[in-house]
Amino acid sequence: MHEYVLRTNQLTKDFKGQAALNKVNMEIRKGAIYGFIGQNGAGKSTLIRTVTGLAFPTGGTIELFGESGEQALTEARKRIGSMIEGPALFPHMTAAENLEANRLLRGIPGKECVARMLKQVGLEGTGRKKARNFSLGMKQRLGLAIALLGDPEFLLLDEPINGLDPTGVVEMRELLRRLNRELGITILISSHILSELHLVASHYGIIHRGRLLEQLTAGELLAKCQHYLLIKADHPERAAAVLQNKLGTADFEVMQDGSIKLFSCMEEPGKVSAALFSAGLVIEKFMPMGEDLESYYTKRIGGHPHV
Amino acid sequence: MYNLIRAELFKLRKNGAFWTLLSTLFLLSLAYPLLNYFDHKSNGEPQMTGAEFFITFTASNAHVIKFGVAILAGFFICTEYSSGVMKTIASSGNTRWRLFTAKLIVFAAGAMAASLVFPVVGTAEVTLLSGFGHLPEGSAASLIPRALGLTLLYSAAFAAMGAMFAVLLTDSDKTVSVLLVFFMLMDTLWIALGTKIAIVADLHDYSIFKLSVEIGKPVIDSGDWPALVLVPLLTMALSAVLGILAFRRKEIK
Repeated sequence: MHEYVLRTNQLTKDFKGQAALNKVNMEIRKGAIYGFIGQNGAGKSTLIRTVTGLAFPTGGTIELFGESGEQALTEARKRIGSMIEGPALFPHMTAAENLEANRLLRGIPGKECVARMLKQVGLEGTGRKKARNFSLGMKQRLGLAIALLGDPEFLLLDEPINGLDPTGVVEMRELLRRLNRELGITILISSHILSELHLVASHYGIIHRGRLLEQLTAGELLAKCQHYLLIKADHPERAAAVLQNKLGTADFEVMQDGSIKLFSCMEEPGKVSAALFSAGLVIEKFMPMGEDLESYYTKRIGGHPHV
Repeated sequence: MYNLIRAELFKLRKNGAFWTLLSTLFLLSLAYPLLNYFDHKSNGEPQMTGAEFFITFTASNAHVIKFGVAILAGFFICTEYSSGVMKTIASSGNTRWRLFTAKLIVFAAGAMAASLVFPVVGTAEVTLLSGFGHLPEGSAASLIPRALGLTLLYSAAFAAMGAMFAVLLTDSDKTVSVLLVFFMLMDTLWIALGTKIAIVADLHDYSIFKLSVEIGKPVIDSGDWPALVLVPLLTMALSAVLGILAFRRKEIK
């Protein structure tokens, strides 16, 4: 049996009669990096806000670390760290003072964790600089350091790479991976940047108009992203005939530019190329292709991504 | 709860608005007696003594208390909503009532500190300039500690009201404006309505708005004491309970 860090059962949240969350059943396993995908207004932040106790559900239940009920949930929230809709900082305080205020708030003994966190996110050299003078990337990193105070078991990060420069994105990705791998922290990340999410997530949840459409592992996603062989030959019609007659497959599509997408025979590319060669065809392009997360997501919500 | 109060004290210590308020009051409480001193000197009028200044300004200190509460409510409590910090606070695994109570305690402490600046600094300066003089006949030697104690009590009561408004309004500008208007106009409104409706006049007589100006009275009848102490305590308790209820139901954006 899997151990779940978060489970929601029929979780519903209405805003003036509109369902921001519609009977959401989400499950996040311990140790997962859960990529949470959805358009603006799909319900990602509402779900995170509901789980962290900032918003109250109008229906359904939340189970955190196996605990449910108002009192138990409040207690369980001591084991989570979060950064919701951007970093929440005291602008007039330095990075160390921001962490100190949060350390006191959480009742974490010993000041040494402040320096440790600053080092962990690369802000140890910021000295007397106030948070209001930080770049967006520095603010994001400080927000993450605050979320990491108290060594949480579950991190909820809403758009953590927003505003980061390319180096910052890579650093954040590596940091999240390390936290997950070395400390076993379960992480939920909502992000607009699906290509980035694709590099870290072990599980995915797709939410659309308040409904959780699908949850799947990275392996399941890979299998579901329909792969195909892209073939470009000098005579597309003859190539199609070869595929049909010699390989006995009709599972292909001839595109407008003459290229062919072959959805079967993925395991035997040698056999396909040999058949085409033996028919005297000149092969200009022959490569395995697949959908990425973005294409899959777009297809799943039935339209343009707009994430 | 102890850690929450420590966190709030840390934040108050780092709050620029709090120190600006204290500094401004400090400067004003230095400037006003000084101007008054030179004015009297140039006109050949007798100088005000420390005792006279204390009695006069303890009564009108209620305005300073209200002003301080309004400013602090806006810039100590509400800025945590606008900066998003309240999200971290509310999701920290502490119950809402504990969070509100810790905030209220420290906010009240800040308001109390501000309320003492005028009577203490001003009186000390006037005493240095013209001597302390004598307390009015009939007033006990305990007048000063009593008046200062009541100043603190009424500051806490106004602070509890301020915290409740801050939780309801959440926006700094709105909170400062609404509180200033509410504190300044409430008295006038109550008096005006009291001339027409008897019960309103009675309510006003037993409100912190009316009683707060009686803090500096040289003599307080023993029969007046229960109201003078109980009214701010009840106001504080009621405002705190309403504030907690509001904060418990409040969704943090």
